[in-house]
Amino acid sequence: MEKEMIAMLLAGGQGSRLYALTEKLAKPAVPFGGKYRIIDFPLSNCVNSGIDTVGILTQYQPLVLNEYIGNGQPWDLDRLHGGVHVLPPYQKASGSDWYKGTANAICQNISFIERYNPKYVIILSGDQICKQDYSDFLKFHKEKEAEFSVAVMEVPWEEASRFGLMVADENDKITEFQEKPKDPKSNLASMGIYIFNWDILKRYLLEDEADPNSENDFGNNIIPNLLRDNRKMYAYHFDGYWKDVGTISSLWEANMEVLDPEHSGINLFDENWKIYSRNSGMAGHHISEGAEVVNCMITDGCKISGSVKHSILFDGVTVEKGAVVEDAVIMGNTKIRSGAIVKHCIIAENVTIDEHAVVGAMPTAEEKGVATVASGVCIGKSAKIGPNAMVRNNVKDGEEEW
Amino acid sequence: MVSSNANAMGIIFPNSYDSLVPELVSKRLMASIPFASRYRMIDFLLSSMVNSGIDNISIVLRQNYHSLMDHLGSGREWDLTRKNGGLNLITPFSQKGINVYSGRVEALGNILPLLHSSKEKYVIMTDCNIAANIRFSDVIAAHEKSGADVTVLYFKADLSSRASDTIMDGGEFYYTLQLDQDERVNEIHINALDIGVQNQSMNIYVVKREFLITQIEDATVRGLTYFERDVLLPKLSSIVVKGYEFTGYVALINGIKSYFDENMKLLKEENADALFSGNSIYTKVRDDNPTRYTASAKVKNVMAADGCVIEGTVENCVLFRGVKVSKGAVVKNCILMQDTVVCENAAAEYLITDKNVTISANKEVKGTSSYPVYISKRKIV
Repeated sequence: MEKEMIAMLLAGGQGSRLYALTEKLAKPAVPFGGKYRIIDFPLSNCVNSGIDTVGILTQYQPLVLNEYIGNGQPWDLDRLHGGVHVLPPYQKASGSDWYKGTANAICQNISFIERYNPKYVIILSGDQICKQDYSDFLKFHKEKEAEFSVAVMEVPWEEASRFGLMVADENDKITEFQEKPKDPKSNLASMGIYIFNWDILKRYLLEDEADPNSENDFGNNIIPNLLRDNRKMYAYHFDGYWKDVGTISSLWEANMEVLDPEHSGINLFDENWKIYSRNSGMAGHHISEGAEVVNCMITDGCKISGSVKHSILFDGVTVEKGAVVEDAVIMGNTKIRSGAIVKHCIIAENVTIDEHAVVGAMPTAEEKGVATVASGVCIGKSAKIGPNAMVRNNVKDGEEEW
Repeated sequence: MVSSNANAMGIIFPNSYDSLVPELVSKRLMASIPFASRYRMIDFLLSSMVNSGIDNISIVLRQNYHSLMDHLGSGREWDLTRKNGGLNLITPFSQKGINVYSGRVEALGNILPLLHSSKEKYVIMTDCNIAANIRFSDVIAAHEKSGADVTVLYFKADLSSRASDTIMDGGEFYYTLQLDQDERVNEIHINALDIGVQNQSMNIYVVKREFLITQIEDATVRGLTYFERDVLLPKLSSIVVKGYEFTGYVALINGIKSYFDENMKLLKEENADALFSGNSIYTKVRDDNPTRYTASAKVKNVMAADGCVIEGTVENCVLFRGVKVSKGAVVKNCILMQDTVVCENAAAEYLITDKNVTISANKEVKGTSSYPVYISKRKIV
């Protein structure tokens, strides 16, 4: 059976700038927004856009991600024909290769795509927080009779040189591509989301594969090659919420923006565009008598007896009496013991912050660091963790780490 | 064969004791009454069975079961979409001359073919008016060890307060057990007026499948109705019925007041821990976002599910999924079911609001602790 469009989701990235948070899991599996993982966003977008076949390309630390995706049921992607498929690199008769680049990852899975004989393929990135209707993108692609379309965001001119930029004419036809240029000719940043006509994509993937000097990358190789051949390439303007959560501070910031949907534009409360996730199965959360809970998001399994302000708590977090949590992102099953003070930081899963420990500090004019504690770590009694610390190992009682 | 599964099938009666909570079951049945912020009553025993390795479970429906069918779906959330066994919903036949069943004997009589064709050694039968986290594997082990024909679960209940507010019409019974030192049941009292701590039956039975078939065939022939009154009671001397004391947390619903109280009890952390700290209780997933407390929220002693938006003051409440409490609203001692909306500056106290109820802005609606006011589905106050 033919599919009009299938999605290929690039989820192999390490997310090395998330440091301790991605030591044991791939970036798309990083928890976000209280009960989600980053990959829930592109997956939910697919389902909500009517795409029912998704190949997920994994490579770096895939265990957590594989387990999380499972058979795809939480996203309604357990289908008889199609559905979600995790595609790791594999051994072939001629040898085996890791995915060398984004284009190579797709190229190694041409046979997967051909099983569905799609007219279009959408390439998605598994490390962005974005609510986007891909069917509207496809409509644009068809209307322009394009062979390749890329979703672009307008960014402030002064920041433009940090991005891959598309220069387009008044009809949105792309005339030039600049990768992180010194002198930007455009402020249309590529979001790394592409729609290809499958026949074109296949041809360029094979051509690129044959080139021994290629980095096998969409941005560096495939797109320049398309431009070289004057292919019909268009830029699709997207003006919704989009955030690349590639760094600790941008991840923290994006989480905080969830708390302020009226201004930030990331509304998770949208009945018509639900973000699906695998359920924790815990009981409802409990706010006890002496607790203080202001401006935060709290989910199942949390037990709050302390003070929680402007923070995001994931499932099963305990905040004991007398503990103070502010401006913090606290991931699943972490325990904040009584008297502990946790501010302006990201605490990963299964962490224990013992009594009277201090983690992070509210930002000052010169000091804006987001303290980060890796999963499974225990911060001992009365220990101190500075605002720029990246804690990977247990910290003993009374010790300090900056 | 590798056997991680219990050698037992489950049979659940979702309609038992419906008549005790007429308000709550006007559009549903006992099994689908929302409980403890994100569950339905049936979730507790169904999950208990699944967690004990029972994966062939039949639900013998009687009436008003649309909400339950919607809740259970294919049984996926309880891991019951199995090739063999799994979740089996048995709807009543609508045939001239056949009435919906009124007692367990009739209900079991209707499913005799199923009992015959199943392969498990034991049957576990239960109602849905109890929320408890039970390890049935332990119960089955005790049943095997004791050599009893029937094992009945009971718990120590203080009936001094309960007897007075139990409504006893519509043929609904509660049973208390008199046990000897070997836990053998000597007598079963029906709606006993004894006060004080009693051995109250949880109406959960473990019995050999073959034994049950014999008993039910025999009782059906003689036109009997109730399992306890008509089958067990007359035979207590000839068949061995043993009690199994369940010492875990039990929430038993026998009226709108106890529904209110049992929800409220879970605001005490030790009670919620006792009910939930064992195996997971599964329920239908709604994919709500986490609950959001805004800058103006004032919250004390609250149990809440996902999907709520709290802008006002909430104290001593159980909030189900998707509840909205707007700015300036004050909600105290309430149970607000799914998608209840309390508008700006409204005041609510001692209410049980059913799904999709709206309390309009500036309105004041209050019940009392002894008589919480129930507001039915989709009503706008």
